[in-house]
Amino acid sequence: MKIVGIVGSNAAFSYNRLLLKFIAKKFGNLIDVEVLDIDKVPMFNQSNDQTNSEAIQHLNKKIVAADGVIIATPEYNHSIPSALQSALEWLSFKIHPLDGKPVMIVGASYDVQGSSRSQLHLRQILDAPGVNAVVMPGNEFLLGEVHKAFDEEENLKDANTVQFLEGCIKKFIRFINVVRIVDAPDGMKDVSSTEDLYATGKIDTTIEGIDMEAEDWVEQAAVATGAVEGDAYVKLDRGILTVNQLNYFLNSMPAELTYADSNNQFLYYNRMYEAEDMLASRTPAQVGNPLAQCHPENAFSSVAWVIQQLRSGKEDTVRAHVPTHGPDKFVVHSYQAIRDDEGNYLGINEYVQDIKPIIDWYLKQTGQQLTGGDVDAVSGATEKVDTVSGATAQG
Amino acid sequence: MMNLLAIVGTNSDQSTNRKLLQFIQKHFAEKANIELYEIKDIPAFNKPVDKTAPAEVQDLSDKIREADGVIISSPEYNHSVPAILKSTLEWLSYTTQPLIDKPVMLTGASYGRLGSSRAQAHLRQILDAPELKARIMPSSEFLVGFSLQAYDEDGKLSDPKKIEELEGIFNEFIHFVDITNQLVSANPSQQKTQSFSWEKNE
Repeated sequence: MKIVGIVGSNAAFSYNRLLLKFIAKKFGNLIDVEVLDIDKVPMFNQSNDQTNSEAIQHLNKKIVAADGVIIATPEYNHSIPSALQSALEWLSFKIHPLDGKPVMIVGASYDVQGSSRSQLHLRQILDAPGVNAVVMPGNEFLLGEVHKAFDEEENLKDANTVQFLEGCIKKFIRFINVVRIVDAPDGMKDVSSTEDLYATGKIDTTIEGIDMEAEDWVEQAAVATGAVEGDAYVKLDRGILTVNQLNYFLNSMPAELTYADSNNQFLYYNRMYEAEDMLASRTPAQVGNPLAQCHPENAFSSVAWVIQQLRSGKEDTVRAHVPTHGPDKFVVHSYQAIRDDEGNYLGINEYVQDIKPIIDWYLKQTGQQLTGGDVDAVSGATEKVDTVSGATAQG
Repeated sequence: MMNLLAIVGTNSDQSTNRKLLQFIQKHFAEKANIELYEIKDIPAFNKPVDKTAPAEVQDLSDKIREADGVIISSPEYNHSVPAILKSTLEWLSYTTQPLIDKPVMLTGASYGRLGSSRAQAHLRQILDAPELKARIMPSSEFLVGFSLQAYDEDGKLSDPKKIEELEGIFNEFIHFVDITNQLVSANPSQQKTQSFSWEKNE
């Protein structure tokens, strides 16, 4: 899960920055936190629009691509610092990256209050229509007397505090998933129970007697079935290829292909690259796993929902833009139903592509341009935003 | 006659809060000398190592000290006050602290119906912080909603009821300034000037 941590102060040294760095380090097994500073963000002025400046666009892109945002704020004069206020004004003026984004608030201060009043202000600010973030309720993390809170290695000293913080972070992960369900097309409920994601069932082609989670499932299953390989010929619907030819052919496809059968077992992917170089990483040892083992638990509902669309015949394809690779790529996960001649559901062909080069090529070939998104032509072109209630038009 | 400093709480070129203060300045010219003050050139707050106010902040600070009372008119951005106003107050609290014990009246205008109600509530809490410690006039609120339509061509509030309301509040403020200045001269707050820091506030 990708989280952006925003340091709410522009000060050269900030305990709130330290706190975010500690969260990133300590809970790296739970979330992937990137800590961002706002010290380069100019003072907001509605008469001098600097939305397209590098500092604001950098924040914008990082927030858009994140699953959630943690803001760490100090307290100045019973409120949040003007630097944070200014950043939030820019992010609610012409662009609205926090709209619908799950946000968790933490804060540290030198006094005993631990930023108590500024956190309440921040909640109200994030709730304004122009910002429209989805702030996690409760779970207030206030770190008072912060100058005494860290040891030399910049770790929080008090074990109870760390434990409480861990609880807050875990709730935030759940909260992000709740927000996802709210925003999902079918919303409202957890539909993970509609699919047997642990592949406990059996279909005609299920290879029995082998541990699905074994790292060498492919090798074991090949022995059990006497599967052909190498130069052996395979007769296809309209053609004959050797297994090698078939492999090279699939590996030359302009997409990462994954086959999961109708029993929700992951059977195949075209291994062109190592996991870290893939748009959606897969490892050789994962093949054979039930889909439940290939996704974090918090994604089960979404996975089940997608499979249901395909299995029920409601959709032949479900697509999702997964903003994992920044603005230079536009990664689309397409879930294509695999059906037999009678239309029976056999499984999913998930193909993952970066479609940006194709769009760029099309635009170049036809001399056309994208319009309507001077901020970010790819990801910002779709939504018309309501600026009336943001920072724009309020006197 | 009383001297008041009226601070425009935004850096925007177009501001119905500026218009409101201009109206107040003109309408109450016989009751007080009101000087309008713009904060748009005050730099963004960043904790200065030596705690010295930049020239712009020192200038504002001097004006506040000289004034008998201060009026702040704020728009509402995101349920709160604009960053530029907040930044200005941070400078004042971190450096010269001229607002300590200073009588302050709040007004606000917004394009929508609510007239900056939430911004004023935040501003009250901010000015109440010990390092600002302004003496804000209690139980008073002046909100101008639909502020783009609220003035005639001469910049006068077009609703006579609104003017009446403002006159009531302004007269009260004149008395409030007097009473407050008597109160604080008899029992002044200890100025924390040059020693305050959010870092040493244990």
